[in-house]
Amino acid sequence: MSADVPAAPHRVDSRSAQLLAPGQPVARDPVTVRSLTKRYGEVVAVDAVTFSLEPGTVTGFLGPNGAGKTTTLRLLLGLAKPTAGQALVFGQHYRQLQRPTERVGAVLESSDFHPSRSGRDHLRTLAVAAELPLDRVERVLEMVELTGAAKRRVSTYSLGMRQRLGLAAALLGDPQLLILDEPANGLDPAGVRWLRTFLQALAGQGRTVLVSSHLLAEVAQTVNRVLIIDRGRLLASGSLDELTSGGRSLEDVYLDLTEGEPQ
Amino acid sequence: MIGQLRSELVKQRSTRTTLLLFLAMVGLVAFAVAMHVLTLSEADLSTRAGQLEVFQVGTRAGLLFAGLAGAIAITAEIRYGTIRPTFLVTPRRGPVIAAKLAVSGLAGIAFGLVAEALMSAAATAGLAARGLDNQLTGGDYLQLLTGGAAAAALWAAAGVGVGALVRNQVGAIVGLCAWMFIIESVTEGFVPDAARFLPGGLGNALAGNTDDLTPAVAALLLILYAAAAATSGWVATLRRDVA
Repeated sequence: MSADVPAAPHRVDSRSAQLLAPGQPVARDPVTVRSLTKRYGEVVAVDAVTFSLEPGTVTGFLGPNGAGKTTTLRLLLGLAKPTAGQALVFGQHYRQLQRPTERVGAVLESSDFHPSRSGRDHLRTLAVAAELPLDRVERVLEMVELTGAAKRRVSTYSLGMRQRLGLAAALLGDPQLLILDEPANGLDPAGVRWLRTFLQALAGQGRTVLVSSHLLAEVAQTVNRVLIIDRGRLLASGSLDELTSGGRSLEDVYLDLTEGEPQ
Repeated sequence: MIGQLRSELVKQRSTRTTLLLFLAMVGLVAFAVAMHVLTLSEADLSTRAGQLEVFQVGTRAGLLFAGLAGAIAITAEIRYGTIRPTFLVTPRRGPVIAAKLAVSGLAGIAFGLVAEALMSAAATAGLAARGLDNQLTGGDYLQLLTGGAAAAALWAAAGVGVGALVRNQVGAIVGLCAWMFIIESVTEGFVPDAARFLPGGLGNALAGNTDDLTPAVAALLLILYAAAAATSGWVATLRRDVA
């Protein structure tokens, strides 16, 4: 990363000094999570989780249901406040970002739509709020192949179409970081393949993608880095190749770490 | 902030919710007018005060439906999950609530105006049809329209606040209806001196349906109610986690 820091030989301020401190996650990384903890009463949903994502990586965020994946993503996106620790995007709290849709795109639930609003109108409500030009709406509709259905009410959409409409909303601001919670859930094989190709194309453009899932075989084909979480604790993080060295499958590694208990 | 305001207008216009609420209000007012004007005794309808009391139905319908429109503006987003993308676009959240207050206030003015106009027209026609002398002045009609619209705008703002606090859509709607139809009327029946200080009673005073309080005092108190509800909803929205 140091190569990306602008050369400033005669002026080293504390901020860039901090950026270059050895062993510390680089603060400008798309995602920096440090000792992140979220408690709900007695339940510790996220327990001192630390990781960072480097630009241009596609990271699978894996864990059983209830492991803390969604909570971590909500903390990262400013929808919930951490009990302790930090969750930063591009070195800032999400809530402090100027024009956040142009930095980060996210889909948390597969059906965050008003059923009687059309797909196009859904995107317009967001584009207008983000002060983006309305031709972005048409552009993202094309990208997810929903132009033909854009006039229809969302209640008439299949699950796959809803997933794609959510993706379209995340892409409105042409963000460098995409955060997707279980985007493959409920997709048919054609939809899964479409999503994989789509995410790989986005990553090929140098975007950073964080995608939570429990579809391990699918993840193994799509991502190059993996985070495994269970009961709020981060159990493993690294490149897919490192984790699966010695001929073990991602499924073996995952089930060993999470003790393979059906949830 | 301009973006959030425009977004709220697109949200309002892109579903049929507001139109359906509007039609429901019109139907309710028409029904109530028919009942009152056709069945009340001539003695009840012969005085100016008696006639203004009948016109209360229009005021109350405008207030309630404006409040419902405000509550639905926020609870529909929570119910359908659009609150998540909304807050991802505007993570500081305050401008979202401010825009909802502004746009719901505008919708409230429209609801109040239409309810009062419909009530006035229908009741006036009903009085004429029964051959009763219309005691209301032009000033009375003007106050019904302006006061009723202002009160409905404040109820809409209060509705946004209640919706943001309660979050559950059915809970907020049932709560507002129960407030208007049960709590206010029971209080009016048993403790009329207190009822005039409740938000519905204040709306009636502002529209001139009752003269217990001057319009200025009623407006001030109703503004305090609306501000309290809107502020509580605002603070809760900024502090709470979004599921």
